[in-house]
Amino acid sequence: MGKEVDMKDAPADEKAKEAEKQPVAVPEPAKPLAVLRSNLRLINNAVAQKETRTLFGRVLRQTAAVRNRLSARDVQAFLTSSLPASSSVAQQLLGALKQLADSAMDADGAAANGVAAEERDADAAAVSPPAAPLPEVEVYCYLLTIMLLIDGKQYEQAQAAAAAALAHLASFNRRTLDVLAARIYGYLSLAHERTGSLASIRSALLGLHRTAVLRHDDVGAETLLNLLLRNYLADNLYDQAERLRAKAQRPDTSRSMQQACRYLYYLGRIRAVQQEYSEAKDCLQQAARKAPTSANGFRVCVQKWLVLVRLLLGEVPDRTEFTAPDLAPHLVPYFNLTQAVRGGDLAAFSAVASAHESVFRCDRTHNLIVRLRHNVIRAGLRRTSLAYSRISLADVAAKLGLSSVTDTESIVAKAIRDGGIEGLIRHEEGTLEAARPTDMYATSEPQAAFHARIAFCMDVHNEAVKAMRYGAGGGAVKEFEDATALRERQEEELLAALEEMEEDD
Amino acid sequence: MATDLGPASTGFAELQAAFSNGDLDRCKLLLSRLKLELTKLPALPPVYESSSNALQQLTLARQVLELSVFLSIKQGDEAAFERNFSQLRVYYSDARGLAGLPPSESEATLTALNLLRLLVANRIAEFHTELEVVPPEVQAAAEVGQVVQLEQWLMEGAYNKVLDARERAASDYFKYFLDQLSSTVREEVASCSERAYSSLSVADAATMMMLSSEAEVAEFAAQHGWEVANGRISFKPAADKDAAAASTLPSLDIINHCLDFARELERIV
Repeated sequence: MGKEVDMKDAPADEKAKEAEKQPVAVPEPAKPLAVLRSNLRLINNAVAQKETRTLFGRVLRQTAAVRNRLSARDVQAFLTSSLPASSSVAQQLLGALKQLADSAMDADGAAANGVAAEERDADAAAVSPPAAPLPEVEVYCYLLTIMLLIDGKQYEQAQAAAAAALAHLASFNRRTLDVLAARIYGYLSLAHERTGSLASIRSALLGLHRTAVLRHDDVGAETLLNLLLRNYLADNLYDQAERLRAKAQRPDTSRSMQQACRYLYYLGRIRAVQQEYSEAKDCLQQAARKAPTSANGFRVCVQKWLVLVRLLLGEVPDRTEFTAPDLAPHLVPYFNLTQAVRGGDLAAFSAVASAHESVFRCDRTHNLIVRLRHNVIRAGLRRTSLAYSRISLADVAAKLGLSSVTDTESIVAKAIRDGGIEGLIRHEEGTLEAARPTDMYATSEPQAAFHARIAFCMDVHNEAVKAMRYGAGGGAVKEFEDATALRERQEEELLAALEEMEEDD
Repeated sequence: MATDLGPASTGFAELQAAFSNGDLDRCKLLLSRLKLELTKLPALPPVYESSSNALQQLTLARQVLELSVFLSIKQGDEAAFERNFSQLRVYYSDARGLAGLPPSESEATLTALNLLRLLVANRIAEFHTELEVVPPEVQAAAEVGQVVQLEQWLMEGAYNKVLDARERAASDYFKYFLDQLSSTVREEVASCSERAYSSLSVADAATMMMLSSEAEVAEFAAQHGWEVANGRISFKPAADKDAAAASTLPSLDIINHCLDFARELERIV
């Protein structure tokens, strides 16, 4: 019987190996124009079913996938096929794209373009535009155009197209337009940011935000709030940003992970500047965790601010945080800064601060770094007081790099009062005496630490018991039904196993 | 059509005259009248209507507001300072980019004074948010640099430097705020000395806390509950306080913890 089993297995193995040897045919990447047309069908379906989220999510994802390979000619062909030639929208967009298409024509080789052009012409001939296109289709066309213009670095035209899109959108109040409109607002802001004219759209964004909240347009409201915060923070207007954030209505649940991440990042920055470092650290850590792995630039920014906030809180970040491969090159100045702060070396700190000053100003973290000087001194003081039982204040001044002894005395006195170091100053002799370490076990600190741990473990235990009792679907009745079925199944298995045992015997 | 700047300019000239004479009441009167005149000028924010003498209108308005800020310091009116400065801030931030508007000489001084006011009132978070908005060229100015330095010294605890700065203050306006600072600083030094020293001679205490005579030191010590004996002040050592805390058990806490543990143990089936 053993041999029979082996024989059956062998032929199955061989078949599997053969299948692997055959190369798996790689599917061709879908042609951009075909993707756009399928998106058109999806949009029509979505509007017919009044379905806002999932179908539009798919549309946007497919567009994003195709974005790199999209050329002006493709979009022009799509526009002519989906919008009637007489519509003003089509004419605006075609005009905007014309310049881009012409420059692309010159850049590409004629041959390659020729093949693609033939295909496009064939496509165009096959599809004729509908008489009255849906507003969603028009807005989608706007979105494609703006995306293409920004990718082609034509920021002024992108701004003009976005402004036209805004004017067009203002005439509608359809919820199905929300997702597309939110994307257009984002690109509008991006186009202005690249040309440095962010301040000019501030009032427009504020008006749009008001409208979005009134219409319960959650996606739009969230996106616009983040755009406004970004706008204020770009000009360092932390005060106004905080006031807006405190007063603006936010929807209870976030519709988009990316917007939630951005919101946490901006909130973390505001709190860091306001010196509320623990809150800032929380927000920035959450933002770092939730960020998608492909968003490298965002993660670098969050990491920079996180490093600074942790230094300001007095904790030194791990070396491993700086050595992650895609983040490492951008974080080099911050790594040097951390080393200087950890070593308590004022001279090294000033050297690093001045060497990388342009980087810090560009990141707008310069003012935070000025505040770090205090932490450097504290760290240096801690090392000194732990290492010596008695040291003269003149030596302390020399080690810290401070110039005068009276300053050092006051600084040390403040450090003792704040609880940073333990010790006593002898004024006449001008020395700092380290305190004899108190017996930790004589105080009630061990008890408090143990109790915290016990409470945590008990919480975990109780939560686990509750989860087991009620199950994932909720409701105790369902549990009982499953239990009976479970018991029956177990009995059957037991019988089968017993039979097998008898056979073996 | 250019608005007539005549009444506004004459009013401003009168105000300047009264200010330099030190006639504060008359200044107040003139200022309220002048502000009324200013509202008639259309080139000012938030309207920013452009006209042939728009620049002069803006410059005049800015000068009036700057003078009003200085006036409020002389009168010791902090609320007025805050009001006038928030109006002035618009000229420094939004109107900065307007073509042709010359930079103001008093901008650095006034920014520094505002920062100092926030520092002395212990509104440190606002101090930092204000500092973020200050453009780099103003930040590089001497007065602003001094105030930023002052904030650092306060954070580090180099209080003797802070008190020195008062002597070297740039102008009377700074002295006004720094005076308020010195009493806060004295309290800080006192509390630091309590924890850091076991005892201090009266002479040393006098220099450190900027008190002029032994009598004052004795009074100060009595306020804080320190003992003065043989020309030395002894602070109650912190060790005593710790020992006192350690001798009493936190009995209520222990009882609560034990009851919790008992309850959890009973729940185990």
